Amino acid sequence: MEQIIVNGLYLGAQYALIALGLTLIFSLMNVLNFAHGQMYVLGGFVTYSVVAQFGMPYLVGLLLAGVTLAVVGGLTERWLFRPVIAKSHREESTMLLAAGIAFFLDAIILLVFGEKQRGIPKIVDGVFNWDFIVVMPYDRIVIGLLAIGIIVGFILFMQHSKTGRAMRALAQDRVAAKLMGVNVDQYSMIGFAMGAMLAGLVGGLLVSITGINLGMGGPTSIKAFLMVMIGGAGVISGAIAGGFILGMLESVGLSVLSDYGDITYLVIFASLMIFLALRPQGLMGKPWG
Amino acid sequence: MNPILEVKNVSRRFGGLIAVDDVSFNVSAGEILSVIGPNGAGKSTLFKLISSFLKCSSGEVQLFGQRISNLSPHEVARKGVVRTFQETTIFKSMTVLENVIVAHQIRAKANLLDFFLRTPRAKSDEGRFKESALSIIDLMGLTEFKDEIATSLPQGYLRALGMSIGLATSPKLLLLDEPFAGMNHEETMRMVSTVGRLRDELRLTILLVEHDMPAVMKISDRIVVLNFGQKIAEGSPEAIQENPRVIEAYLGSEDTALGI
Amino acid sequence: MSAKKWLWLAVFLIAVFGVVPVFIEITGRSDLYYTLTSVALLSIASAGVWLTFYIGRINIGQGAFALVGGYVSAILVTQVTVNFWLTIPIAGLVCAALSVLIGLPILRLRGVYFAMVTLVLTEVAKLSALALPYTNGAKGITSIPLPGPLVLFDLVLLPGLESIANPKLMFYIIFSVLMVLAYWVLWRIVNSRLGHLCRSLQQNEELASSIGVNVAYIRVVAFSISSFLGGVAGAGFVGISQSIYPSSFQVADSINFMLNCFLGGLGYVFGPMLGTLVLYFGWDLLFVTGRYQLLIYSAILILLMLLVPNGMLSLFDRKKASS
Repeated sequence: MEQIIVNGLYLGAQYALIALGLTLIFSLMNVLNFAHGQMYVLGGFVTYSVVAQFGMPYLVGLLLAGVTLAVVGGLTERWLFRPVIAKSHREESTMLLAAGIAFFLDAIILLVFGEKQRGIPKIVDGVFNWDFIVVMPYDRIVIGLLAIGIIVGFILFMQHSKTGRAMRALAQDRVAAKLMGVNVDQYSMIGFAMGAMLAGLVGGLLVSITGINLGMGGPTSIKAFLMVMIGGAGVISGAIAGGFILGMLESVGLSVLSDYGDITYLVIFASLMIFLALRPQGLMGKPWG
Repeated sequence: MNPILEVKNVSRRFGGLIAVDDVSFNVSAGEILSVIGPNGAGKSTLFKLISSFLKCSSGEVQLFGQRISNLSPHEVARKGVVRTFQETTIFKSMTVLENVIVAHQIRAKANLLDFFLRTPRAKSDEGRFKESALSIIDLMGLTEFKDEIATSLPQGYLRALGMSIGLATSPKLLLLDEPFAGMNHEETMRMVSTVGRLRDELRLTILLVEHDMPAVMKISDRIVVLNFGQKIAEGSPEAIQENPRVIEAYLGSEDTALGI
Repeated sequence: MSAKKWLWLAVFLIAVFGVVPVFIEITGRSDLYYTLTSVALLSIASAGVWLTFYIGRINIGQGAFALVGGYVSAILVTQVTVNFWLTIPIAGLVCAALSVLIGLPILRLRGVYFAMVTLVLTEVAKLSALALPYTNGAKGITSIPLPGPLVLFDLVLLPGLESIANPKLMFYIIFSVLMVLAYWVLWRIVNSRLGHLCRSLQQNEELASSIGVNVAYIRVVAFSISSFLGGVAGAGFVGISQSIYPSSFQVADSINFMLNCFLGGLGYVFGPMLGTLVLYFGWDLLFVTGRYQLLIYSAILILLMLLVPNGMLSLFDRKKASS
């Protein structure tokens, strides 16, 4: 039981980070970043290249993953999303643009990094073993703690820094923020960059545990959407809640229900649909409509 | 005169908050009744309850003696109770004339298959609708704008367009949600005379919610005053202006003077 | 309809039913039949998605209905020996019924919320195909025979495909006819009062409701027509590919249907048809670029969205371009 909980916490922390990035972008620009999974994969590959091919320390790899994705995110917002949002008559265009970007990133990843599954050597050896009740490799613990650290850092940043406060104002009410003198364009770009960075960081974190490959992009995006929808779109606490819930569900599912395979997932998804139909704002989202 | 609308002990709760508390009043045919009260008094909620956009927690609303509070919003609209909105809601990318014509079309009785196959009956309706739309537009003073795109209208005229859309359905009771909001004196006076014409020329019954006291005093046949969700007074404009409870309610809040 | 529009229609019909078959016979590129038949079927599915956009909803679930339609057709042909051509409308009706069931609770959701639920729907469809009985799990249903003759009261309405020389041509003609029919339906809806109703919903649901429009009913009707088209498309694919798998229609396909609508232009009835043609052909043509296929494809896609964010057909609309 304790093992399931610990696994769930570890997975949850990773998922929460992904969900946070997505929800940040959504709350600022009302865009569901279809390319989020690809950004995660890209981050993983950057870390892999830096560590396995250039032989640099892991933390450098992780950092570069974050930086690369931040740049990609910022550029994407500035040169792709901003003009499309300005010119199009309908709000769905951004969703479609994001889908196009997802394909594009997939293509780039394919060309630059290839199709193979890649991984990096364990960053810490050894296994934590508490009487065989909880068994957890040290590297997972480290990664889990790093993830939690980043989450905490992110929350503190959003609460206390000037940039964070500006972005929160922007998320609440775009027009009011503009009237208060917030440079909406600039903060949208920063927000997107940060969201992408978070995705990239998770990629860098997980490449050391589960490895990374091209095909993970799409399913990760879908998982991210699910988390954000369960927890509540556009709400930080919702993203974290969604992330940990999905982490727990997967942990439970892996150990308890693995015999039942597809029917389990079917039931989970179907229940999800019903849940969303009844409570579209998720657990913590603002009531809408 | 027989009341056409009866609001009977209507209440609405949101969790622990009672927005509308046991409110009762009647609206007689052909009169203009205004509902006023300080901010937060429950006026908008009351409106939504009458037009069935919200369900009553208790009590009921009757139209011509029949219960409408258990019907869905579009059914209530079909019974003849049409509501206009506070935010100017219109069909944005069409002209003024098209807006009003569309309102006729989407209310037309012909069934779906008729629509689809364009039967002769459907075709003859089109001519009627255009005529009706033009006369409504004329009544509302919008004739000079009839071929302009709706979003290019100035604020005051947008409100008139919203009303025109409602009028296309030949309502029996018109619910006007703050029709004078955001208007200057000249626009207000114009709207006051327009609303008066709706009562006099179209024989409409009008229930309105408003903050603008001078306008309310000028236009209303009777007034109902709400405060904290409860009805605290009902009567003619003169009686309301002198009612001590009403004066007290307004002095206790930041609202405008009673326009005496 | 104006004379100009009749002319366009004539040109279109001649191109589809005259020029294409002749061209293919002359050049011997009979593989193009499969390509174009696929385009026809995909554009039927995209037409359905377009219709959901028309009532103001983002539908990322058409893949689910295509999958259901395909399986209905496959099961009816292989296990109940129903004539394939009859399974097409049946598949459509099953999907329509299903969509009413699903639509009633979810159609009141808006924007991304509705979109997300439909996204989950596509996944649910795939998982159902994997897990439920009669669908043969991951192996799918294969070796589905070519359609037999359609006989009614001893009158042969359609010959069996085993017996004719050019089955591909027959599929092409029939599914192109279906495509024309589907778009005719869309055209009639848009130009009828139902169209006005739908447009009023798109613009302002509350306003429509406040003047007596039964919004919920209209939405369900539109959604069921949309899903009917999805089911028909799925059944069609079973005919030309003679197989169906749980992976035949996935989230990527649902997204592609949306892209087709989008690229052609959401404001235009023929948008999805044009979008499907360009995107599908474009993808096919880019095959020669090998590894760079996805890169160039997606780059062009993004470029198109930057240049014509309101779809390609909006280029023809000078009124909108100048505003």
